[in-house]
Amino acid sequence: MALEKGWIEGDESGKEMLLRVLSEWPPFLLLPPFHRLPLRVGNVVELVGPSLSAKTHILIQVAISCILPKEWNGVHYGGLGRLVMFLDLDCRFDVSCLAQLLKHRIIQANGSSSKVHSEQNDGGLWTCHAKKKSSIAYDEELFALCLRRFLYVRCYDSFEFLATLKTLHFRLQKEREACGISVHFLMIDSIGAFHWVDRACRPLPHEGNNRKSLSLQSVSETVVQEIRKLLLVHPMVVIATKAIIIGDKNSAKEVKWKLRKLSTPDITYVDNIKVILSMSHITSICLLSGSPRRFQSFVTHRIAIRPTGEHCAMGENKELSVYLSEWLLPPLKFSDKFAVLGDGTVILL
Amino acid sequence: MAPLKSLERQYPIIDSDFQNFCASHSIFSVEDFLIHDLYELTALAEPHPTSDRLKEGITQVLGIIDNQHQPWLNGMELLEDALRNKRFLSTGFEGFDLLLRGGFREGQLTELVGPSSSGKTQCCLQAAANVSVKHMGRVVYLDTGNAFSPQRIAHFMEQISDLHFKQAKDKILQKAMSSIVCHSVFDIFAMFDLLFQLECDLRSQIDNRDYLVRLLIVDSISSLITPVLGGIGSQGRALMISAGYLLKKLAHEHNIAVLVTNHTVGGDGGFCKPALGESWKSIPHVRLMLSRNHGSSICSVSILKHPAMASGKATEFVISEF
Repeated sequence: MALEKGWIEGDESGKEMLLRVLSEWPPFLLLPPFHRLPLRVGNVVELVGPSLSAKTHILIQVAISCILPKEWNGVHYGGLGRLVMFLDLDCRFDVSCLAQLLKHRIIQANGSSSKVHSEQNDGGLWTCHAKKKSSIAYDEELFALCLRRFLYVRCYDSFEFLATLKTLHFRLQKEREACGISVHFLMIDSIGAFHWVDRACRPLPHEGNNRKSLSLQSVSETVVQEIRKLLLVHPMVVIATKAIIIGDKNSAKEVKWKLRKLSTPDITYVDNIKVILSMSHITSICLLSGSPRRFQSFVTHRIAIRPTGEHCAMGENKELSVYLSEWLLPPLKFSDKFAVLGDGTVILL
Repeated sequence: MAPLKSLERQYPIIDSDFQNFCASHSIFSVEDFLIHDLYELTALAEPHPTSDRLKEGITQVLGIIDNQHQPWLNGMELLEDALRNKRFLSTGFEGFDLLLRGGFREGQLTELVGPSSSGKTQCCLQAAANVSVKHMGRVVYLDTGNAFSPQRIAHFMEQISDLHFKQAKDKILQKAMSSIVCHSVFDIFAMFDLLFQLECDLRSQIDNRDYLVRLLIVDSISSLITPVLGGIGSQGRALMISAGYLLKKLAHEHNIAVLVTNHTVGGDGGFCKPALGESWKSIPHVRLMLSRNHGSSICSVSILKHPAMASGKATEFVISEF
C-alpha cells in the first residue's frame, strides 16, 4: 500500500524539478546556433544545410563542450563531462581536427584562468608563469581523458549502420559501467548518406510472402525504431546532420512551380526549405535532399544552416565566411549570423 | 549477408528449430534480422516450449551482428592511428605542399578539379613519381583516358633524384618505375573489379611491408561516372556513391592516399563548377581547384573544401617542361 501511495504522490514539485534539472547542467549550449533553445535529453535535432555550411564543425564543437569537464584542477572549462557517441556515415571525420580544437579550448581556458590568477597576485609575473607551466603539464592528462570520452564508429553502408544501432544499447551500457558516466550526445553525420545506394537496392525474390526486404523504407523505419528504443533506456540528445541540395536545377524548378501554386509573393530561403520538406510526400523532391522520410517525423528540432556568401574581417582573421542559421522546427523567427574563426571558435555576429 | 542455414555448422545454437521459428516470422538471413525488431521477436519466442533456446539463438545472432560493423574506437585510439599511420605524401610541388600542410594525406580522398589542360594529370604523374622515389611506396594508377605517360614520370623522377652517378640513378629510377602499376580502365565496372581485387590483395598481404601501396590515383573518375549518371533511375548515383565509399574505405583501412580528378562544367553565371553534381560533394575529404592560363607553366590551386582549413586559400606552383 505504501508503495502504491509512493507512486501516486509526486516525487517533487515543479520548482524542485526545475532546480534539479538546471543544476545538473545548463540546458543551453552557448554555441550558435544552439544558444536559442534549451535542448533536453530525448530531443532529436536535425542540422540541415548544403555542403560547406560548417555542419560537421558545429558537431565537433558541441562534442568538445560535452567531453570537457566542468572543472579540472581548479580551472573552469564549463563542459558537461559526459560521453559523446559519433556515428560517422560520411566517413570523412578527421580526428586531428577534433584534437586541435580540443587543445585550443583547453589552452584558452587555462589562459583565461591564469590571467585571473596573475591579476589576483599583483605584479606576480613569476607566479603567472609558474601557473601556466603547471597547467600545461596537466594538459596532456586532461586532453587524453577528454578524447577517451569521444566514442566513434564509422559505417560504410546501411548494413553497418543498422548493425551498429542494433548493438549500441549493449555497448553504451558497457561504456557507462566502465567510465561511470553516460553518453549525452548521439551524433549522426550525416543521415541520408546512403540514400542513393538504398534507393537503388532492388528487393530480391521473396522466399516468404511477407518477408521484409532491405529497402530505403525498411532501413529508415528500422533506424527510427532503433533510435527511439535506445532513447528510452539511454537518455541522450540526438544530433543528426543532413546534406540538403539548394540551387539544384530540378529542385529549384519544382520549388518555383510549387510556390506559384501557393502564390507566395516573396520567396525566402526558409520558405524554400519548408516547401521542399512539405512537398516530400507528393513529389520525389525529398530524394534530392537525401532525407529518410521516417526520420523527418521523428525530429523535434530542425535548424537550417547555409553560407551567405558574405565575408567579414575579425582581428587577424580576414575573409571569414559568414553563415546563417534559421530555426525551422519549432517554427521560430530566430535567424543568426555566425562565423568560424581561424582557431575554430564559432562566434555570433 | 549469411542465410541462417549456413550458420548452423559454426553456431550449433542456430539449429533447425530456431530456423523454423525465424522462418515463421519471415526471417531467413542475418540481413533480415537487421530490419526486424529483436525485442518483439524475443517476446514472440516466449510462449514456445523451447523459448530459452530460442532466446539464446537470438543473442547469438546479435553477437554475429556485432561483428558486422566497424570497430568501436575512442578519440585517443583514433588519434594514435592517425599519428602513426596517416602520413602526408608530398605532392612534389613545394608551394602545393605548403598549402596542404605537407601534401596528400593517407586515409583521405583528395579530389583535383579543373578544366581541361589545367594540370590535373601532371599533378597525378608528379605525385606518382614522388611517392615511388621518395616514399618508396607503391602506386596504383587507374588511367581512363590513355593519359598516363611513363616518359613524363621518368622526367619527374630525374628531377627528384639528385644523384650524380648515372648507374645509381638508373637503378633507383628502375626500382621506382617498377613500383608504379598502371591499369587502363574504361568503365566504372572495370574500376570496381580492380578496386575489389586490390582490396583482396591488400587484406591478404597485410604484413608484407614490400607491398605497401601508398597512393591510389584515378585519373579521371568523372569520365567513369558521368556516363552512368543521368536518366531518371537512381542506379547511376548509387554506383557513384558506392565507388566513393569503396575508395574511402580503401584509403582508411589500408592507409592509402587516394587522388581522383574531376573535370568542370559550366555553372550559373558562366562560372566553372566541378562536374558530378551535388551528391558527389559529400564524398571527398579535400577538394582542390586547379587552373592554368593557356601556355603558361604556372598552375594555381585553391581549396574548395578541406576538413581543417577554410576554403578559398590558394597558391601557385610551376609544372616543369620537358
